[in-house]
Amino acid sequence: MNPDSKKLAASFYGRVNAPIVERCRVNFCTDLEKSVLMSNFERRGWHQVSPDDEWNFYWASTQTCRNLFSVESGYRMNDNQMINHFPNHYELSRKDLLVKNIKRYRKELEREGNPLAEKAEVVLQGGQVVTRYVHLDFVPVTFVLPADYNMFVEEYRKSPQSTWIMKPCGKSQGTGIFLINKLSKLKKWSREAKAPFHPQLTKESYVISRYIDNPLLIGGKKFDLRLYVLVTSFRPLKAYLFQLGFCRFCTVKYDTSVTELDNMYVHLTNVSVQKHGGDYNSIHGGKMSVQNLKLYLEGTRGKAVTDKLFAAMQWLIVHSLKAVSSVMANDRHCFECYGYDIIIDNQLKPWLVEVNASPSLTSTTVNDRILKYKLIDNILSVVLPPEGVPDVRWNKQPNVEALGNFDLLIDEELMEKDEQTSASNRGHKSHKNRTT
Amino acid sequence: MDGIKEDAIHNTALKLAEEIKNLSIYKSFYSDIQKLVSSPNVKKEDFKQSLQEAMKEKGLDTKLRNTVYHWVRTQSKNNKLDPLTCLSKASSQWEKRIHKSLNSMCSDLETSLAKLRPQSEQDDIAEKWNELSTYSLDLSKYRPVYAPKDFLEVLLTLSGYVPFTREDEPKWEFAHLPLQVKTLDQLRKEYPEWASGEPLLGANPESRCALGGGALGAERAALGARVSALRYAPVAQEFLKRGSPHCLRAGLWAQVLGVEITPHQTANFNQLKKSVLEVDLMIDKLIFKDVQLTASNDDQYFVFEDLLYQVMLCFSRDGEILQQLKGCVGSALTVTIKGKQTSPDNTTVFPPSGIIPFHGFSMYATPFCYLYDEPVQLYYTFRAFYIRYWHRLHNISTHPQGIVSLCLLYERLLEANEPLLWIHFKNINIHPVRVVFKWLMRAFSGHLPPDQLLFLWDAILGYDSLDILPLLAVAILSFRKENIFQVNTIQNVDAVLADLSTISIVPLLQLALMKP
Repeated sequence: MNPDSKKLAASFYGRVNAPIVERCRVNFCTDLEKSVLMSNFERRGWHQVSPDDEWNFYWASTQTCRNLFSVESGYRMNDNQMINHFPNHYELSRKDLLVKNIKRYRKELEREGNPLAEKAEVVLQGGQVVTRYVHLDFVPVTFVLPADYNMFVEEYRKSPQSTWIMKPCGKSQGTGIFLINKLSKLKKWSREAKAPFHPQLTKESYVISRYIDNPLLIGGKKFDLRLYVLVTSFRPLKAYLFQLGFCRFCTVKYDTSVTELDNMYVHLTNVSVQKHGGDYNSIHGGKMSVQNLKLYLEGTRGKAVTDKLFAAMQWLIVHSLKAVSSVMANDRHCFECYGYDIIIDNQLKPWLVEVNASPSLTSTTVNDRILKYKLIDNILSVVLPPEGVPDVRWNKQPNVEALGNFDLLIDEELMEKDEQTSASNRGHKSHKNRTT
Repeated sequence: MDGIKEDAIHNTALKLAEEIKNLSIYKSFYSDIQKLVSSPNVKKEDFKQSLQEAMKEKGLDTKLRNTVYHWVRTQSKNNKLDPLTCLSKASSQWEKRIHKSLNSMCSDLETSLAKLRPQSEQDDIAEKWNELSTYSLDLSKYRPVYAPKDFLEVLLTLSGYVPFTREDEPKWEFAHLPLQVKTLDQLRKEYPEWASGEPLLGANPESRCALGGGALGAERAALGARVSALRYAPVAQEFLKRGSPHCLRAGLWAQVLGVEITPHQTANFNQLKKSVLEVDLMIDKLIFKDVQLTASNDDQYFVFEDLLYQVMLCFSRDGEILQQLKGCVGSALTVTIKGKQTSPDNTTVFPPSGIIPFHGFSMYATPFCYLYDEPVQLYYTFRAFYIRYWHRLHNISTHPQGIVSLCLLYERLLEANEPLLWIHFKNINIHPVRVVFKWLMRAFSGHLPPDQLLFLWDAILGYDSLDILPLLAVAILSFRKENIFQVNTIQNVDAVLADLSTISIVPLLQLALMKP
């Protein structure tokens, strides 16, 4: 727009001194030039700058974010800056820390005598009776190795026929994962791990979890869910669930036989793993939408169980976030979009497998691209105040229209307000009752 | 006057009684009644009254009513011979072409239409029956016998039989065919619930993604549960007019179509499976190819691939389909089974179902995967749906529900209600049916997202009519007309109409049917 036409437009709309274009000017900066990101920034008319320039919005890698927040960098963000990670997101996204935080959260609730921490005895497949949390049993039994080795062995002995899955704590996309059904195999691994003469070379830590060996199968195939959760604040907790998640299917029929234990195409749903299988289909990429999963489950299993499953997934997400909310550095400049990986078992119970702090923005299919474009678009409209410029003084309460495909999962601030108003209403009422 | 009426009722009752005797359920039904009569509930002194009550109590009353309902439905569709000889001629020519193309494909590929399967192959298929996607076949040389596009070309030549008298008459209309189709006003009378703006399930697009479904959803679910428990087909049909909750659809559709899975049905399905194993029909490869080309590449259906192979293969072996569609579809080939001893039974009808699949044929079955995960249940509901509706979409006939009438209905609706679009198509010289034909022929399967498609098919069952298909085609065109006006080639019009994933069909159709 040249100045003349701008003036014309301004008078045309009757707002003489409101140069909207200038006011909305946002300088962005990004480490990943993914097309779903860039096209969204461009559509908003944002201007790209380098990290050393004055930026308002930074879509950074977790590493960049850590560096920025580190004491050494000495960077101080101003009120009009925003970044897409919390400094210590790893409390949620590292497999070992997630489990540690959830265990601590449950213990705390138990100590408070909170009914959420209720426990009950359950009978395992092998007939053993173990005590589990009734409401907070949403991660498979997990130990950190080598630290918790003895505790693991104790648990292992309770049901020696079950299968366990080993995952390196710091890796993602299915690398370094293997299944174990014999203690001897683990012993062998641990012997190799401890190189006595090079203690500094000890293998990285692993988590070992009870393998969900009864996953829900559709068309005979195993799948997991990828759901996107946006957190704009941890204290008070404000979180949103994206409606357009998807299921990632294995290309090979599910088979628990020992011979298939090492066949990762049967067990791992990661696209990065499945992609290399001969049966990978690049048109749909083995992905089906969560809406269609819901349609299928309602049609074949009924509405009540389907609703219960989806409610249980929301429950799981909220409590995993609550588990870390006290340890998260709740910087007002931050928001974060997490990729939740969930497996549903054949009893329609969801299990949290892991949380990813930088879910892939690469599009493998056309639908994937549409979904991720919408995801970014909706994230931006939720995290930005209505004026469109980052501002930490904003109360982080987006309009309903701004939510797009996000549903509000929890907003503790709003909940508190509601409680106060209803409490004062009650007080008012009783007061009234007294006078009459 | 009353006497005549009573006589008529009496005669109908007699005829019905005779007909019921010929039905397969008669024997078991009769013995159930006999058992009931000998029970203490039925009293000799008040025989009629007490028997009727006892029948109601046992559910035999509903069973009898459903039987009559299904019988009446089968009667009304057996219309007389095709009055338009030109269509029946075109139909048989088309059929011959398909048969010829099958035969030439066979000789090109140096295979035969039917041959016995060697034991090793039988064992292989039997072992992989639940994961036929892993059954390796070289299908690179197989091509679908025909595609919707080819079928459309044939239909378009139908209008050519009337010599053109006037210059300005476009050469590409079905309007020359002396067939009666409804007007929009008549459709409004056919779909009164939709036309009067009654609340319909799926009408509120926001409730699509939301977890609850709103007050209407709860109301429909409660009512639907009662309807479903009643097990009375006409009531279930009535209920479907305003849309079924997803969780009740599987049961309601089966009720309306009279599908009940008995041990007999299961045995019958296993028999079909056995005949797939024994005889290798060339059509099997076409079925594999079709599922691979369509469902396997579709993000909505790929997970059901293995289920579809089973269902479609068994479908091809089902002689009952040919039996029930006698007179509606053409005659099937009879071929010799290679490898069998020369004897009277070494020939087979090819394929036993009489149905030769075209490119996209499996899409008639795919949406059922969202309702049934058992192949037997899926199979029988799909088959009933096919026999009642889908066969009309790929056979040439003058039936008011046939594809020719539906195309004509589409043209008339478009011309009368969207004249500017009609003129636009005329100006850019595109036959308007070309841009929607694939939707009509597949009843929108694979084009609409499954939740929307199932609402559409609810309405087909509820109103027992395919008229809604051309109406939806016009409604979509009307909805996107501003974009269509911008383009002037068939490729670009197709591009405007390619993605229907954002279409909410119920509000769109209701808008079209409600009076302005």
